[in-house]
Amino acid sequence: MTVSMDALKDKFRNPGSAELELIARYAMLPGSSQRERAFEAFAETGLPHRRMEAWKWTDFKAALKQVEASKNAADNAALAAPGQSVIEFTPDGVVLPDNVPAGIKLHERNEAQALGAAEEVPLGAMTAALSGRVGGLDTLIIEVNEPTEQPLHIVTRGDRGETNFARVAVIVRPGASLDLIESHLGGAGFSSFLIELGMQEGGAVSRTILQRGKTDEAQAITAVVTLGEKSEYTQTALAFGAKVARLETRLKHQESGSHATLNGAYLCASGYHADFTSHVRHGAPSSITRQVTKGAVLDGGTGVFQGKFLVPRTVGQHTDADMQHQALLLEDGAEVFAKPELEIYADDVECAHGNTSGALDPNQLFYMRQRGIPEAEARALLTEAFVAEALEEASETAQEALLDAARRFLTDSVR
Amino acid sequence: MLKLENLTATVGEEDEAKTIINGLSLEVPAGEVHAIMGPNGAGKSTLSYVLTGRDGYEVTGGSASLEGIDLLDMDPEERAAKGLFLSFQYPVEVPGVPVMTFVRTAMNAQRKLRGEPEISAPDFIKKSRELGAQLNLTSDMLKRPLNVGFSGGEKKRLEIFQMMMLEPRFAILDETDSGLDIDALRTVSDGVNALRSPERGMLVITHYQRLLDHIKPDKVHVLANGKIIKTGGPELALRLEEEGYDGVLGEAA
Repeated sequence: MTVSMDALKDKFRNPGSAELELIARYAMLPGSSQRERAFEAFAETGLPHRRMEAWKWTDFKAALKQVEASKNAADNAALAAPGQSVIEFTPDGVVLPDNVPAGIKLHERNEAQALGAAEEVPLGAMTAALSGRVGGLDTLIIEVNEPTEQPLHIVTRGDRGETNFARVAVIVRPGASLDLIESHLGGAGFSSFLIELGMQEGGAVSRTILQRGKTDEAQAITAVVTLGEKSEYTQTALAFGAKVARLETRLKHQESGSHATLNGAYLCASGYHADFTSHVRHGAPSSITRQVTKGAVLDGGTGVFQGKFLVPRTVGQHTDADMQHQALLLEDGAEVFAKPELEIYADDVECAHGNTSGALDPNQLFYMRQRGIPEAEARALLTEAFVAEALEEASETAQEALLDAARRFLTDSVR
Repeated sequence: MLKLENLTATVGEEDEAKTIINGLSLEVPAGEVHAIMGPNGAGKSTLSYVLTGRDGYEVTGGSASLEGIDLLDMDPEERAAKGLFLSFQYPVEVPGVPVMTFVRTAMNAQRKLRGEPEISAPDFIKKSRELGAQLNLTSDMLKRPLNVGFSGGEKKRLEIFQMMMLEPRFAILDETDSGLDIDALRTVSDGVNALRSPERGMLVITHYQRLLDHIKPDKVHVLANGKIIKTGGPELALRLEEEGYDGVLGEAA
């Protein structure tokens, strides 16, 4: 690259040592105007931090003093079953499956595509700027041309690396459908995954996500989703957090009659932080959004929910949208931050939201103990039942595995 | 079997603790069913919570034992594993946990605490089908979340279903008749009577004599101001029905 490090550094205000390492990494990548645009966008904010409104509870800059290798191997419990089609991203590159489900085509691109809204998310811009490799893949394009039944898995696995950055674009052709299952298993000091999903008329995507990390890792999973006419997008995520973990989804109802479901559950033990942030724009009439986020947090754990529905006056008529966030504080010292926002300018809409946090009901606990169920088991069972509602819409292929993961966590950690 | 001696207990936090059970003595031998009747505020429900170990109910004196084992030092789940069962006056809704899952979890938890093996899935299903049929509980109902969306009468039938599944050594029925129509009252009573045995004791707490027409008690105790003030046979319940608590209590005082 012809640009000097100093010139790149100057684009940032007070870059920290982690940012300097990211800049150096960018300087080694082949030049590309698309990547440069993404880098400029990232430079405007640098690593997002608490003085930015949208990041006040999830501070990547503070969590990432340096970009250091994780001391942990990636948790190997991916949702994929043997024989299924798996795309695996590691710090060494991508491994593509031999058996791609019929109706799906994979295209490797070594130059970034036009980004659109990914630039608006700081870590989306960063990932777009840095997911490239010298002489290697920058973006994997998944083209879905028909209704598909076999699930397609994406696994990200850090292998004790410093970073694991990956970028995927999914194009869903009219009437096509995809069962996408993602396991983001951490294992790198800083993992970031960017997925852009463009859904054309009548397309359908079910996206099921498992996130795991460790308390010396930062993780970002960023999705930018565009819904075409009468398309249907169903997202279900289960997050266990990391030192900081952010699952951010920016979704746009672009044409009328589309339907989005954005469900998620976070389970955070001591030292773990999970953040669900979403922004839904009802940019077309008669579209539906349903969002249920549930969380359960132990002493020393942190859960964050930030949800926003934006319904513009001119285009958002007959929007039907509902946002629910419910959190259980299982112990003293558990922290949950929530900011549900409805910004509605159209006048003929149905929008609702609810936000609660509290402890388990002592009446339920006593009732269960009276029947002989020990207190810890009663608490775990009640918590599992509580979060399970947010996982009901998960892909059938992965639902049991998600519930098992939640159950194992609760059985092991709830006292 | 169940032996309470000069039991006293308070309800509420430190400064605001009120003595509700005040020197209560009672013995229910194995094989017998005793009824406790009494006016509102006498301490009937408090007694059931004190015996089952609910938080917020503190024993300040006396003793309570089941088959010679001190109940008061044990956690609620240990008391349950020793065979103590409470049919709740107000059964609690447990969203997301189906009846069958709940009962099986409870049954196996009790067995584990007692050092017994788990019940096999076929045995469990067979038993729950038989008992469900006796209590007019359909298999659909047993798949639904516990008590969620059930009517008052259905909840009470579910309490008896749980009791019959768990086969406790000693059962306390706290106002099991409330919210029941005549047919449900008979169904529930039949279930309770089916569990009467020489090894099992029961304490039936009720306001009304009506239930005792179906579940015939060996003895009737009148509870007022936290203690038993009168004990008699089934005829005492009939007298209470005729003369009211004021009549009977006036005489006792």
